[in-house]
Amino acid sequence: MLRYVIRRLLGAIPLLVGVSVLSFVFMQLAPGGPDALFARNARMSPEQIANIRHNMGLDRPMHEQLLVWLGNLLQGDLGISYTQYRPVTTVIWDVFPNTVILITAGLLLSLVVSLVFGVLAARRQYGFFDNVTSFVSYFGLAMPVFWFGLMLQLLFAVKLGWLPSANMHSIGEDGFWDLLKHLALPAFTIAIGSIAGWSRYVRSSTLEVLGQDYVRTARAKGLREQRVVWGHVLKNALIPFVTVVSIDIPLYLTGAVLTETVYAWPGMGRLFFDSLAVRDYPVLMGTLVLGAVLIVLGNLVADILYGLLDPRIKY
Amino acid sequence: MIDPVSRPDRPMWDDGVQPQTINELIQARIDGRLSRRDLVRRAAQIGIAAPVIGVMLHATSDDAFGAPNPGRPSGATARFQETVPADKATAPEGAPQTGGTLSIGTNEEPDTLNPYVTQLVTSSDILAGVMSRLLKYDSTQQLQPDLATGYEIAEDGLTYTFNLRGGVKFHNGDPFTPQDVIDTWKMIMNPDFGAFSQLGWEKIKDITSPDGERLVITTTEVFAPFLSYVGSDYISPAKELAKGPEKFKQEFGRAPVGSGPMKLVEWTAKQQVTLEKFPEYFGGPAKLDKIILRILPDDNTQLVQLRTGEIQMVGGAGALGATRVDEALGIENITVLEHATLGWSHLDLKHIDFLRETKVRQALDFATPTQQIIDKLLKGRAVISVADQAPGSWAFNPDIQPRPFDTKQAEALLDEVGLVKGSDGVRERDGKKFEMELWGIAGSTEAQQIIQVIAQSWNGIGIKTSPQFQDVSTIWGPEGYQFTDKMTACLYSWFNSNDPDDMFYWHSSQIPDSPTGTGGNLPAYFHEYNFQAQIDDLTSRAVKTTDQEERKQLYFQIQQLLHDEVPVIFMYWGKSFPAIAKNIGGFWPSAFNRLLWNVQDWYLTQ
Repeated sequence: MLRYVIRRLLGAIPLLVGVSVLSFVFMQLAPGGPDALFARNARMSPEQIANIRHNMGLDRPMHEQLLVWLGNLLQGDLGISYTQYRPVTTVIWDVFPNTVILITAGLLLSLVVSLVFGVLAARRQYGFFDNVTSFVSYFGLAMPVFWFGLMLQLLFAVKLGWLPSANMHSIGEDGFWDLLKHLALPAFTIAIGSIAGWSRYVRSSTLEVLGQDYVRTARAKGLREQRVVWGHVLKNALIPFVTVVSIDIPLYLTGAVLTETVYAWPGMGRLFFDSLAVRDYPVLMGTLVLGAVLIVLGNLVADILYGLLDPRIKY
Repeated sequence: MIDPVSRPDRPMWDDGVQPQTINELIQARIDGRLSRRDLVRRAAQIGIAAPVIGVMLHATSDDAFGAPNPGRPSGATARFQETVPADKATAPEGAPQTGGTLSIGTNEEPDTLNPYVTQLVTSSDILAGVMSRLLKYDSTQQLQPDLATGYEIAEDGLTYTFNLRGGVKFHNGDPFTPQDVIDTWKMIMNPDFGAFSQLGWEKIKDITSPDGERLVITTTEVFAPFLSYVGSDYISPAKELAKGPEKFKQEFGRAPVGSGPMKLVEWTAKQQVTLEKFPEYFGGPAKLDKIILRILPDDNTQLVQLRTGEIQMVGGAGALGATRVDEALGIENITVLEHATLGWSHLDLKHIDFLRETKVRQALDFATPTQQIIDKLLKGRAVISVADQAPGSWAFNPDIQPRPFDTKQAEALLDEVGLVKGSDGVRERDGKKFEMELWGIAGSTEAQQIIQVIAQSWNGIGIKTSPQFQDVSTIWGPEGYQFTDKMTACLYSWFNSNDPDDMFYWHSSQIPDSPTGTGGNLPAYFHEYNFQAQIDDLTSRAVKTTDQEERKQLYFQIQQLLHDEVPVIFMYWGKSFPAIAKNIGGFWPSAFNRLLWNVQDWYLTQ
């Protein structure tokens, strides 16, 4: 097992290098650049712009820039931000934990809700609850994040006044309870899409397992229904579900951009988006590579979970 | 956005242009004579582009969010307020209280708070309250004493003498001395540091202080905008500057040390910047204890937080745009102020083919319904412009009248130069068709609507016009429209500084020599203007004298020349709309300074 994990991690290194090279090339291909606006700044002289380009390393050929960047990466150095003038590692580290909090909360929420809804809906197929969850699912899938987020703000912050409308903390507070209150709406917003999709998925895979012989056997030997459903059926229904979840994790990273913007959540999605607008290459590269690392890790966790859920799978 | 309220007494468009039908369609939809589907179908038939249809649907929908309709109050609290001109400091009723905290919403996070390398307005908004300059502009565009109590310009225009204020302390406890100014100058000129602007500073030959109380700056040439650049640039403490260019750039950018009324105490990434009053400020301690700038990237969220009271102000870089004002006017405890900006929106006309002829450019100006765009799309929240100096500034020429929207005159001018309609209705001469690309910045609904309207009008007089939208980095990069050999126009804004110097826009030295070259005179990339010698002479003479009356006459002539020659179609001066809680006093925003410029005077009432 440990060996497998190590092998997978080593295998990820060329993958990450590939991701870096591709991101770098695509970024350079995009029109404009970090210095595109300098030339139209009335207060900058041509000499100054040349000097700034030199300081940023933009006057070197592209392959040289890429090699320097990769070399530094191997030493754990992501470079200096073009716009903030501080190390990219610090820039990212300032906001990275906040995104982890948001994504983890969203993931937990949608896992719990979609499992419960999915299984309950499957048990009474075409029943009242099933119909209600299907309706809610389609609604959730169809909803644009920025609109849904705004509606939640208007309802819970403006009309009812129960929750703060945005930000991560109230002014002058940093307690856990304060964080939870601020987390509720964004976590729900980021989760709503996958709650909808995943609960449909759990429902259908539960239905499939419910028809299996061993379920009939379990019932025949007199197990309580609770035990049958949550012990036998769910465990088997989970295996394909784990795959779906691991595939969807990158969606959480992209979903974070909109959710963080609407709720002014200080996370990596906004950092990425802001840096994109000004073509802050070092920060963009840093966040892309970190995103790739997270996705690789997510897939690894999924593979390990298969082994835990199904004793037949061995590494 | 299009105003859904019909005004029979004021026709929306002069005749000869299609959009009159837009108004009718909208009215018909409001009256319920037309279904949404019919509206879309009919609008498409008369050639209205999809984005405009979207706006029409929005404007006519029964539940358009947050758009209070004056004729239809939607609840007990819905009141229709008006914007208030920011022509003096706010003075609410009620006794001023000492102390208190004010939360301000802004839409972008500062990139860095190092004043010499920041590219964002938000950073300047904050720095205006944290740092000091020798002189500062008040909200009537007058230079006021700051670190200097007065100044004198020598007869030859080369030497400036400033009387320095005594007893000034920086936030780190250091006293302010002439050395701070000298070291600031040296840092700005240091190539390893890479300051974004050396303008004015690069004309300095030497800075000395004969007695520690006066500062004598000698310059290499007469440069009229000197005071507006060097005089109002921030002065950093020598101790911080001594850290060297790299450290100063990085560390000062996160923790600036100034001598202003507020000092920075905390900056949490993507969340907020916290300022506290500096009790030893030379102008006396500020009335407020604390200012917190909350970073709210989404403007809907800003409006929500104004409503809930989580923030009490949006201003500076985060002030409302013309299209969001109505929503804020519906919030009971909020006043929306308004003031002009130094940003002029215009269509530049690439100096190529037919566009090299003055009469053709004049015709395009006649065919552009600028006033109607201001009245209808921008709901009157902009000021028409005739040239490049802002109304209200000393260099503004009040005698020039804008060209009216008059398609008949436009057509006559085009006929006169031999551009006549072919069988397909498109004007042509010697086999060359009059086809133009009309560019705008992607993502701005305002720009999209304006461009659709202009394209329709130009198409109407036989100029085949096709709209294009791109993001700013693309438009200004080497792949931008300026460097293709097609006839193009592009809608964007230039922002003037406090000095009227406009060489950057028009002078031949400002024509980029290649697509990556620098300079603001983009329309003349292929061919110099047909009045280039004249404008070169006037703009360069105007910075070579410090006599304001003489400069004024020169800028008057420049504006007349620009109006006659139409190198670009002047559209309008944008306005800014700060929104504040009704109990904030002493607040006086303007285009001439940045948000926290007079923060020491702000107070809350009980």
